[in-house]
Amino acid sequence: MRFIATLLLIVFFSSKALAGTLSVTVRSTDGKPVQDAVVMVYPGGQPTRGPITFPWPYRVAQQNIQFTPFVLIVPVGAEVAFPNLDKVRHHVYSFSAGNKFELKLYGREENRTVRLPTAGVAAIGCNIHDQMVGFIRVVDTAYAAKTDAAGVATISDVPSGSVVARVWHPYLRAMKNEKTLATTSVGNGTTRETMAVELRPQGGH
Amino acid sequence: MFNRLQTKLTVLYAGLFALALSLVAVTVYLAIVGNAQQTVRKELTATGTVFDRVWALRTQRLQDGADLLSRDFGFRAAFATRDAPTVESAITNLRQRLGLDLAFTVSVEGEVIGIDPGQLDLEKLWTALDGETGAQGVFVVNGAPYQIISAPILSPNLTGWIVFAARLDRREMQALERLSAIGLEAQVFDRRGQAWITDSITADTPRLAVFVDTAIRDKAGKPSLLKGKAGESLVLVKPLKSLSSDSAAALVLRYPMALAMAPYRPLMAGVILVGLIGAALVAAASWALSRGLARPIMALDDAARRLQRGETVHVTVQTQDEIGRLADSFNHMATEIRDREAMITHQALHDEETGLPNRRALEREITTRLAQVVPGQHVVVSATGLDRFTFVRSAIGYELATQLITELGARIGLISPETFIGRLTTSTLCVVGTHDDVETTLSRIEAVLTGLEAPIRVRGELVDIHMTVGVATTIPGGPDAPRVIEQSMIALDQARAARRKVMLFDPVAYGDPSGNLSLMSEMLEGVANGALFLNHQPKLDLRSGRITGVEALVRWKHPTRGMMRPDLFVEMAEETGHIRALTDFVLTQAIADQKALRAAGHDVLMSVNVSGRLIDDAEFADRAIDLVAREGARVCFEITETAVIGNPDVALGVLDKLAAAGIPVSIDDYGSGLSSLAYLKQIRADELKIDKAFVLKLEAGGKDALLVKSTVDLAHSLGMKVTAEGVETREALALLQLMGCDIAQGYHIARPMALEPLTTFLEGWSIDMPTDVEAGTLKHA
Repeated sequence: MRFIATLLLIVFFSSKALAGTLSVTVRSTDGKPVQDAVVMVYPGGQPTRGPITFPWPYRVAQQNIQFTPFVLIVPVGAEVAFPNLDKVRHHVYSFSAGNKFELKLYGREENRTVRLPTAGVAAIGCNIHDQMVGFIRVVDTAYAAKTDAAGVATISDVPSGSVVARVWHPYLRAMKNEKTLATTSVGNGTTRETMAVELRPQGGH
Repeated sequence: MFNRLQTKLTVLYAGLFALALSLVAVTVYLAIVGNAQQTVRKELTATGTVFDRVWALRTQRLQDGADLLSRDFGFRAAFATRDAPTVESAITNLRQRLGLDLAFTVSVEGEVIGIDPGQLDLEKLWTALDGETGAQGVFVVNGAPYQIISAPILSPNLTGWIVFAARLDRREMQALERLSAIGLEAQVFDRRGQAWITDSITADTPRLAVFVDTAIRDKAGKPSLLKGKAGESLVLVKPLKSLSSDSAAALVLRYPMALAMAPYRPLMAGVILVGLIGAALVAAASWALSRGLARPIMALDDAARRLQRGETVHVTVQTQDEIGRLADSFNHMATEIRDREAMITHQALHDEETGLPNRRALEREITTRLAQVVPGQHVVVSATGLDRFTFVRSAIGYELATQLITELGARIGLISPETFIGRLTTSTLCVVGTHDDVETTLSRIEAVLTGLEAPIRVRGELVDIHMTVGVATTIPGGPDAPRVIEQSMIALDQARAARRKVMLFDPVAYGDPSGNLSLMSEMLEGVANGALFLNHQPKLDLRSGRITGVEALVRWKHPTRGMMRPDLFVEMAEETGHIRALTDFVLTQAIADQKALRAAGHDVLMSVNVSGRLIDDAEFADRAIDLVAREGARVCFEITETAVIGNPDVALGVLDKLAAAGIPVSIDDYGSGLSSLAYLKQIRADELKIDKAFVLKLEAGGKDALLVKSTVDLAHSLGMKVTAEGVETREALALLQLMGCDIAQGYHIARPMALEPLTTFLEGWSIDMPTDVEAGTLKHA
């Protein structure tokens, strides 16, 4: 068992011998860490071919009249589940181009899924509760992650070489709410990058 | 300007009242203005507050509408899916429902639905919308300010904005104006670049724009005063929120002060009217008062002037005050002045002793009559002298003599009531009359004189009076009053001298005394320029029959008056003190002539006339003696008689000196005038010249011959030679020769002649003496 584990580790490391890690810290202009920023890396500037899977569930729950998580990264064509954990009913919709859907009034525990066919953003809201806003970032690259509470997103196993990396945040004050990182290549080991972004204030939405 | 008391008082009182009233009016006006301003300020501030509320309410209403639409699911779906027709129909629907001016959407990508993007500055609008959730404020659309309300369209993220706009136009402002209690004027200004723009333009707009700019910059929250072309107004500037940060807008509330003052206008007019009426009343009252004060003063002033001119004045003042008393005093003064003046005039014109008019009054009367006479009439002035008045006066006393004169004046007045009688001198009355014919008048005077001379009874005593009258007449243009009086006095003297009762002034006999002095200076000039010269009259020695001497006689040929009578100018020279100069000339010339005669071989004694007034002049004698001695001349001084020898001691000394110097002295014109035996005794002379008055009548025999004979004897006995003057006939010459007279002089022998004829005369002299026979026998030619 231990052997297998050691072997697996060896395989794991050896198979990743030609890959590096990109760690991006996103901060706002006033120096505070920005959570829920999506970092997308395109090795060689190309989207990933073949199926993409992410280790987190493709699921946006409605809980306490909030979308959880606030930002979800899913690959193109993923089936996203919208379980209602509240006692009230919700009417979830997205008017985003390519990923338009509407889940009319449904109640607790009802599990609905929506396939999101287009890379881009699906801004989701609830027609009943205006304050409920969530974002699903539909990506066409396997190398994507969102920043944690410390504003850090770590993407492993990025093939060494030139990359195009972008940072997106639903409120980022920029075209399409995204900015391109200064990093143009990833070597072995960890490449660290910090980005300062300006966010639109969201009070009152 | 204010040289009248009345004007001064009126102006002073009315002016003071007007001043006080003006102060009151100004105070009232200022209070009113302050009050009105205060009211307007409060109202403006209140209106400003109301406006804030109105603005907020409207904003809220618009906002509500915008929010409603922005949250509509269908609308959001249409907007998110770019369903432009649906979106446009939705906002048009809402715009109509809410009565909005404009409603449109702007997407986050900058797409506009519902309005032509060319009408607005999209970039500025987008920036403003993006900069703030629910951005609102004033924004210019299509050149006009709008109130903009926006609401974000969330689906669920921000995809765009709904924009509602209400135009801030005149209609909107009028709605606001109606909210105010006072009729203020509302206006919106918005800044574009540096300029403040408004849609309602008036003459005051540029000024107002500057005012707004200043107020916004100073953040002035209170109304303040603006002086515009249309008058003052109070202005409150309320900044309006501008949608875009780089522009600004303001609500301007304005209220003209004229409107605020309007309610007070009747009050002010009332104050001014009352003031004017009051001022007029005060002016009228002070005019009346001061007239009451000034009129008596003016009357007094006028009276004083008339008094000055010598008029009789009386001022009537009714009042009992100071002015009344002043008028009384003035009247008293005027009366007293008049009385005193009358007294002084009387004194000035009347003789104090007799009360008769005096000389000044007479002169005045003559002048008056001269002004009134008709041509052909004369003013006749008769100086009526009381003869021997001094005797009468010493006999009866001063007082009675004066009474006598008074009585006499009254008597003349009775006889000739038309005459004016005055007193000229102590003893002379003067009668002034106006008459047609002088001769008749003289006759009349002579006729009435007898009656006048009747004895006058003075204090019971009869006093004999004798009078002489000197008459002078004048006509306008003739001698003036003083002159004619003087002439009448001279006529009186002339009458007395001629021993006549009445005599008319004889100007010829009188000569012209005023010409005398100038005549004397002309005489002195004549001495220098040869107008004065000597003629010599030979003197015949009756014993030898030879011409032994000549008498140097001075002659004057006046350049304009011709030959002057020697007795006239010599006498005048004596009277005026020029005789010494004249005698000096005669003596010097005589000595010169004697020299000339000597040169021609004729040695004659020069007789020079010396005035008796010079005989006591030692200096003259000294000089004469000196001259004679120096020239070796042979002269005889013929001393003219004189009444008194001023200084007998000096005269005797002089005569002694002359004798010592070998200058014989002759007594001239003996027998006439004042010569007396005492005179002969006093003057020690070498010769006596018998006056021609005796010699001329010698042939007639009688007294004259006896006098001459006895005089010759008297002279001889006193050791003097005798010369007879005025020998004009051979008979006279013979008689004189018989009488023992030494020398003869006269026309029978020769007239006075100049030097040259004299020389000729002397050359040819021969005479057949009448008495070379024995005494008593006469040869007859």
